[in-house]
Amino acid sequence: MEKLIIEKTNDTPNVILDYDSGKIEISERSLPENAIDFYSPIIDWFDKYLQNPKKETIVDIKLEYFNTSSAKQIAKILLILQKLAINNKVLIKWYYSANDSDMHSSGIRYSKLVKVDFEFIEIP
Amino acid sequence: MATTEFENLTFSLSLFDAMQKDNLSYIYRGFFNQQITDSILSLTEVNLQTEEQSSKMKKRVYAIMVEGLQNITRHQHDTASKSIQSTHGLFIIKRSEDKYYITTGNATEKSSIPIITGLIEKINSLDKDELKSYYKQVLNEGELSDKGGAGLGLIDMARKSGNKLSYRFIDINENDTYFYLHTIPTLKDLSADFNKVAKESLDNIVEIHNTLNKEDIRLIYNGVMNQESLKGLLQTIEGHLSDSADQKNKMFYIVMEMLQNIVKHASNPNNEEGGNPGIFFISENNGKHLLTAGNYMKNEHVKELNDKIEYVNNLSDKEMEDYYNHSLFDFEIDDSKKAGLGIIDLRLKSGNTISHFLKKIDNNYTFFSLQIQI
Repeated sequence: MEKLIIEKTNDTPNVILDYDSGKIEISERSLPENAIDFYSPIIDWFDKYLQNPKKETIVDIKLEYFNTSSAKQIAKILLILQKLAINNKVLIKWYYSANDSDMHSSGIRYSKLVKVDFEFIEIP
Repeated sequence: MATTEFENLTFSLSLFDAMQKDNLSYIYRGFFNQQITDSILSLTEVNLQTEEQSSKMKKRVYAIMVEGLQNITRHQHDTASKSIQSTHGLFIIKRSEDKYYITTGNATEKSSIPIITGLIEKINSLDKDELKSYYKQVLNEGELSDKGGAGLGLIDMARKSGNKLSYRFIDINENDTYFYLHTIPTLKDLSADFNKVAKESLDNIVEIHNTLNKEDIRLIYNGVMNQESLKGLLQTIEGHLSDSADQKNKMFYIVMEMLQNIVKHASNPNNEEGGNPGIFFISENNGKHLLTAGNYMKNEHVKELNDKIEYVNNLSDKEMEDYYNHSLFDFEIDDSKKAGLGIIDLRLKSGNTISHFLKKIDNNYTFFSLQIQI
């Protein structure tokens, strides 16, 4: 499965989707003008991953900021992972900065809305 | 829950009038650092790019801004006084018709008035060629002030402007004075009434500055809203606010949503190039920040938006959570023009109700303004 790497810009996140190494990470900022377009290849990748997943999947979400249209796209990804979690081990590691209570509560919100395991990690 | 009353409404309306007249205005009042300077330059660049101006003019405006911003950064601590006026530098760029008006301001001790006046008067007495050789002379003699060559900066600004430098001192208290430097770059030779134009526009700036001080307004942007100007404004917010990191994050989120609403949903009645016209300002009130954004919208969408805001404002905390969670996973409204998640997010993140006002412009458009307190 091909890996998808998207370098960060000052309004789009850094994306590493690497099947071989198992590294799946979305980090930095996500405030694109058109979140649907930006996330569409990412969602496609997850759809493909779902067809041939690894035994264990760890997804690192280390976002500093995201806008509401990105929030919906993240919700889409989480729904795919929820499907995956029915028969596989899936863990979402949700990183948040110690001084950003909003990012923490966004993660908690998602964790209540989808049936996937979350681990919350505070970045000092 | 009752809707919060819209604060500085009169001011918002006067800004709105300005929005219709001026193609661009940007005001920043406060502490200046590298990040602030960079953000102001990039914001203005966005607007310069979209305007039909000669590239020579754009370069001049840019060069004057760079010098002016450096001047404020260097001299913003020239007085020991801690009064609000003394500790807040000022930068204003305005474009009206085909002219740019660039103003910088900072407090300084009254004792420096003769030095600054002497320098500017000397510069203003020289013609183009004399200025050029004076520049070289100062450069060679290393006649630099201990702050690193403000004299050269002034000469350079005069050369780039192609006009005289306007300036004014307004006393703050017995020790301090506020120094305004006002530049109107033009390519053609200055017309006979230049002095009058410059005096009037500087009068106007001083008046605006009084309002800014009175209402404690920190930033005003009036221009095209696109993803680039949004990023510039966000950068200013990151550089400027000295509040707690949590407060800063909140502000960042809320401003981002407010402005992205304009980028995506606002109308552009005059088909301005580069983005939808919009205004945005930040004021402070008893330690609270007031964020206000304004834009045009089609009359036919007014009722829907009004209903939506009323609806969101009247939700209980529990209802709000449910509504948000529902919208988050409702992908059907992804592409619609409806402001769904954005508005509720503004209320959730700010912890306050949303104030707004609407003013009908003509048969097609309404001016819509949104205000959030955090």
